[in-house]
Amino acid sequence: MELAKITKLLDAYFEGNTTLAEEAQLREFFSSGNVPEHLQGYTALFASLQEAKKETFEKEIKLPLESKQNNFWKWSIAASVALLVGISSYMYFNNNGLSAEEEEALMAFNQAKETMFLLSENLNKGTQKVTFINEFSENTATINLINQFTESKNLILK
Amino acid sequence: MNQTEFTALVLPFKDKLYRMAKRLLVSSEEAEDAVQEVFLKLWKGKQRITNYANPEAFAMTMTKNYCLDRLKSKQASNLKIVHSNYQNSENLQRTVEVNDGVSMVFKIMETLPEKQRMILQLRDVEQFEFHEISEMLDINETAIRVNLSRARKTVRDELLKKYNYGVS
Repeated sequence: MELAKITKLLDAYFEGNTTLAEEAQLREFFSSGNVPEHLQGYTALFASLQEAKKETFEKEIKLPLESKQNNFWKWSIAASVALLVGISSYMYFNNNGLSAEEEEALMAFNQAKETMFLLSENLNKGTQKVTFINEFSENTATINLINQFTESKNLILK
Repeated sequence: MNQTEFTALVLPFKDKLYRMAKRLLVSSEEAEDAVQEVFLKLWKGKQRITNYANPEAFAMTMTKNYCLDRLKSKQASNLKIVHSNYQNSENLQRTVEVNDGVSMVFKIMETLPEKQRMILQLRDVEQFEFHEISEMLDINETAIRVNLSRARKTVRDELLKKYNYGVS
């Protein structure tokens, strides 16, 4: 690289007017080993800036585990609340708030009611028939009475 | 965000934070503590860091603030940094054997005002753009250029002075 350009870049560098690319050119030039005698004084400057970048943080970064536990607690609380809401809403919408036992009892009651209803209906049919028979027997009784009457009438007429 | 995701997000700039902290606090032990502390704070506020457009700049700002607070409280409690200075020069001799000039530059950088030190570190060591430095330090770009120019000139002048002493 031309010396004149390097001198110009150096001037701009010390005024704070160089770009990152130009600064890279300067670093490259001063680490090349072809630095003229009168500019040797700057070699250490640019060398140390590069050297300064070599230091690294070697320790392990320690982060607390408790925040993970905190998360676990948060999640478990959220999960139990969600479960509770789910179960209760399921029960509310599906069973009108009845428990399984009550549900079973209700079903049994309904079944019993139905059977009773059926029974009573049949019973009614039965009694209807019985009244029929009663009527019939009553009628036969009257017929008998009539028969008796005609018999006795015949007797009188004779 | 879990710890793995968090670490993946912040680990790429851990070294930059460490070097910044060390530039300000000088002692490597204190710089390590600072980085650890900053990561802890970032982890606790991890919801915020993902909302932030530039997590690296955010972390750098936190590091800067933490270190400046440390320096202030150190001055207040009259805890002199003689001990850490000693530790540092020992450290330097061990790690930086390139030449005397390099360790001289580091010594000169330690004498710079904090603002100039931070700007020199972010620009010439980490090679950030001016607008990034402006975001990290909350200083406008013109002021950054002025401070950078002063820092560079001070280092140059002090270095040349020392070289001349060495020669003569």
